[in-house]
Amino acid sequence: MKVPQQVARLGVVFAAAIAALLVARSFLVPETFGELGHYRAAAIDSIAAHPKKYAGHQECAACHDDLAAKRAAGNHRGVACEVCHGPQQAHVDAPLDVKPPAPRDRGFCPLCHAYNPSRPTGFPQIDPVAHNPLRPCITCHDPHAPVPPAVPEECSACHGQIARQKALSHHANLPCVTCHQVPQQHKVTPRVIRPTKPAERAFCGRCHAEGASGPAEAPRIDLAAHHPRYLCWQCHYPHYPETQ
Amino acid sequence: MQGYIYPNEFELQWSLLIVLYPYITGLVAGAFILASLERVFNVKEVQPTYRLALLTALAFLLVAPLPLQAHLGHPERSYEIFLTPNRKSAMAMFGFVYAWYLTVVLLLEIWFEYRKDMVLWAREAVGWRRWLYYGLTLGATDLSDPSLKFDDAAGRWITVIGIPSAFLLHGYVGFIFGSVKANPWWSSVLMPVVFLFSAIVSGIALVLILYVVISLFRSRPVDMRCLDKLASFLFYAMIVDVSLEMLDFVHRLYESEESIDILSQMIESRLFISLIVLQLVLGTLIPLGFLGVFSPALHRGLARGSDELRRLIYLMSAVLVEIGIFSIRWNVVIGGQLFSKSLRGLTVYKVELLGLEGLATTLVLLALPFVILWVLVKVLPPWEEPAGLRRLDGV
Ligand code: HEC
Ligand code: HEC
Ligand code: HEC
Ligand code: HEC
Ligand code: HEC
Ligand code: HEC
Ligand code: HEC
Ligand code: HEC
Repeated sequence: MKVPQQVARLGVVFAAAIAALLVARSFLVPETFGELGHYRAAAIDSIAAHPKKYAGHQECAACHDDLAAKRAAGNHRGVACEVCHGPQQAHVDAPLDVKPPAPRDRGFCPLCHAYNPSRPTGFPQIDPVAHNPLRPCITCHDPHAPVPPAVPEECSACHGQIARQKALSHHANLPCVTCHQVPQQHKVTPRVIRPTKPAERAFCGRCHAEGASGPAEAPRIDLAAHHPRYLCWQCHYPHYPETQ
Repeated sequence: MQGYIYPNEFELQWSLLIVLYPYITGLVAGAFILASLERVFNVKEVQPTYRLALLTALAFLLVAPLPLQAHLGHPERSYEIFLTPNRKSAMAMFGFVYAWYLTVVLLLEIWFEYRKDMVLWAREAVGWRRWLYYGLTLGATDLSDPSLKFDDAAGRWITVIGIPSAFLLHGYVGFIFGSVKANPWWSSVLMPVVFLFSAIVSGIALVLILYVVISLFRSRPVDMRCLDKLASFLFYAMIVDVSLEMLDFVHRLYESEESIDILSQMIESRLFISLIVLQLVLGTLIPLGFLGVFSPALHRGLARGSDELRRLIYLMSAVLVEIGIFSIRWNVVIGGQLFSKSLRGLTVYKVELLGLEGLATTLVLLALPFVILWVLVKVLPPWEEPAGLRRLDGV
């Protein structure tokens, strides 16, 4: 059978287009593409060739060994030098010519320490307006090894969100220590010394079971009948029990 | 802003242009599917719009990638997705779906459809137009009987391939949204299907509008049989579309996942105008009512207005439908970014006026397909004209 004229012509056009694509590909696809993954392997070198801006905290330790040691032992051990002092490769190269700035004003520390409910449990948070106003934070806290000048009394210094939530709930009048036994050391080394947490249903039953001796205004339930197979806090958040 | 949102949710990453993009591809797919009705399913009534629908699809398809380009940080690098295909990325492979649809389906179908006319035009034209048409025929000037038969058969086969391709083209857009697991507003297997049917609705409405308006400008009579048929199809497609959307909606309500609270808050506040007023009432219920009553879709029309009245009602309904479908795209794309993944807060989106991703760009990009269509219609007139008239028009 004779090939129709249309097919022949279209064939030429498509073949030309595909050939053009293949030729373009051979010119345009970078040589090292695909060596390591779906990208140009040489990109690693070209990115590595960018001028360095951050030196890394190990570099600082070579000359500021005292401060480096101090920081490594303190509560800011996880906060690198250049987080506060800015990118300092230039200072490492010429320490006497380039002077790094230091964030001495009050506005800086709250970037990390201002109260924010999305921060993890126990992260030290303060209300910048109410917390010892006007004076710079560094008059009381050493930036390289911050400690509270006095052991905090209130749980809310570190558990701000829980404290705020509880304050609005039906459990507002229950002090934290009714439900948690907190060793004093927890406030000094919180991650090492941990408070207790209620472990069984009977605990809540002390106030909520029928005939319990707790406060009269606590609503009573039949412990045996009220969803017996679950722990209470699988349904009631203890710090805000009305949400189910 | 309201409630709690994560810091990276404050600003929307997918802007108005990303609303425009599925809107435009939807119009392409819809217009093409309308064209294929005539070709494959032999619906003779809509024949007057067959070529117009094809050219419309082409004009919009050419513009479809532009909103994406304008949205990219480095548009000049976009061609790279063709050179180094990434088979694991739905977005990257979309480039190939697009290329397939443009070259293998749409351009080929138009070429086979117009080849005979182009050969004739090349013979009668003079000067550069002669060469233009000759070039467009690719030199395939054989007008013998078997050759014309081949054109016809080829056109039909391409349409047969084209229908699933058009489904793919737009279903794919829905797929990309539907497969974003982390977003409860998007993540739904129904998404591609809903996208597809809304595309068909918007495509039919667009061709209807164009047909009426162009006839008006050319002061030619509108073929009412064709228009009635279009209106009926529009009605049926809308019924399917609305049912699917309701299914999706009821399913979400019944499932009542933890996102339901924030989503209903969003619908009541941020999306009230665009979802309830524009999409549901203006864009769906009112046109459905009018089309149901006046078009011959149900029992040859419940009320039979005069031709004049029906034309007006169809036109108005189609315009409302277009607004409604645009709102659907808005509600999907923008809505999906208005609520926080914490499910506890809503952000706001303010459209810029002049920025690269702003209102002005959007309007230009929306107008561009009509300019392209105008050129296409000049070069490849979609209607049969007595030869003498054409020359008088100076076309
Ligand atoms: C090569 C040794 C060297 C290295 C490495 C180095 N410094 Fe220094 N740095 C110095 C010297 C010397 C001074 C004191 C300059 C002066 O007092 O004039 C100084 C001073 C400073 C000061 C105080 C500036 C002031 O206004 O008094 C800061 C802050 C500082 N360095 C931070 C850093 C940080 C952060 C790094 C790591 C990225 C670092 N340094 C690495 C040598 C070094
Ligand atoms: C939490 C932020 C923070 C971090 C992390 C930090 N610094 Fe500082 N740094 C400061 C502030 C604030 C001052 C200013 C202290 C002052 O004026 O009393 C300062 C002062 C200094 C000085 C000036 C000399 C002095 O003792 O006052 C040097 C040197 C210095 N820092 C080096 C370092 C090095 C090296 C590291 C990393 C090991 C580091 N800093 C980590 C905030 C920080
Ligand atoms: C980049 C974030 C960041 C910045 C900026 C920052 N800190 Fe911290 N801070 C931390 C982290 C992380 C901890 C350790 C928290 C923990 O132990 O869970 C901490 C702990 C503390 C503590 C509590 C120590 C304890 O008893 O647990 C104090 C006080 C403190 N920082 C004060 C400051 C002051 C003052 C500044 C400003 C000079 C500052 N921080 C800047 C991240 C930061
Ligand atoms: C007048 C001294 C003073 C100033 C100024 C001050 N603080 Fe404190 N800070 C304290 C004391 C005392 C505590 C002990 C807890 C308490 O009673 O609130 C404390 C506790 C904290 C804690 C939580 C305690 C912990 O161990 O987790 C943080 C975080 C903190 N301060 C950060 C700051 C920041 C940030 C600033 C600056 C905006 C600042 N402080 C300014 C005295 C001060
Ligand atoms: C100096 C800051 C600080 C103070 C003050 C503090 N905590 Fe904590 N608390 C922490 C940190 C940090 C954690 C560990 C959080 C984590 O690992 O997720 C913690 C954990 C806990 C836990 C959970 C223990 C577990 O095993 O999950 C309880 C309960 C708790 N604290 C109760 C209290 C109570 C009650 C008070 C007040 C009497 C208090 N804390 C005071 C910092 C503090
Ligand atoms: C009504 C009893 C009750 C009171 C009052 C109470 N808690 Fe708790 N708390 C619990 C229970 C029960 C859990 C364990 C929940 C779980 O395991 O899911 C818990 C868990 C915690 C935890 C660890 C888990 C978490 O939610 O982050 C912290 C921290 C904590 N409590 C701090 C506090 C603080 C601070 C207060 C006072 C402001 C307080 N609690 C008051 C009952 C209580
Ligand atoms: C020391 C006694 C005490 C303990 C222990 C206690 N509660 Fe309560 N609870 C109360 C009191 C008092 C109220 C009522 C406060 C009010 O409404 O004024 C209350 C209220 C409630 C409510 C009712 C909220 C509503 O919607 O009315 C729930 C739910 C609840 N507690 C759950 C718990 C759970 C779960 C535990 C165990 C983790 C627990 N409680 C432990 C004293 C207690
Ligand atoms: C499976 C989930 C579930 C568990 C587990 C559960 N509760 Fe409840 N609780 C509910 C629901 C739902 C309600 C509200 C409807 C009702 O009154 O039954 C409620 C209501 C309450 C009330 C309020 C009654 C009132 O009159 O307002 C108290 C008090 C209470 N629960 C305490 C407890 C205690 C204590 C435990 C653990 C011994 C517990 N719940 C375990 C789901 C649960």
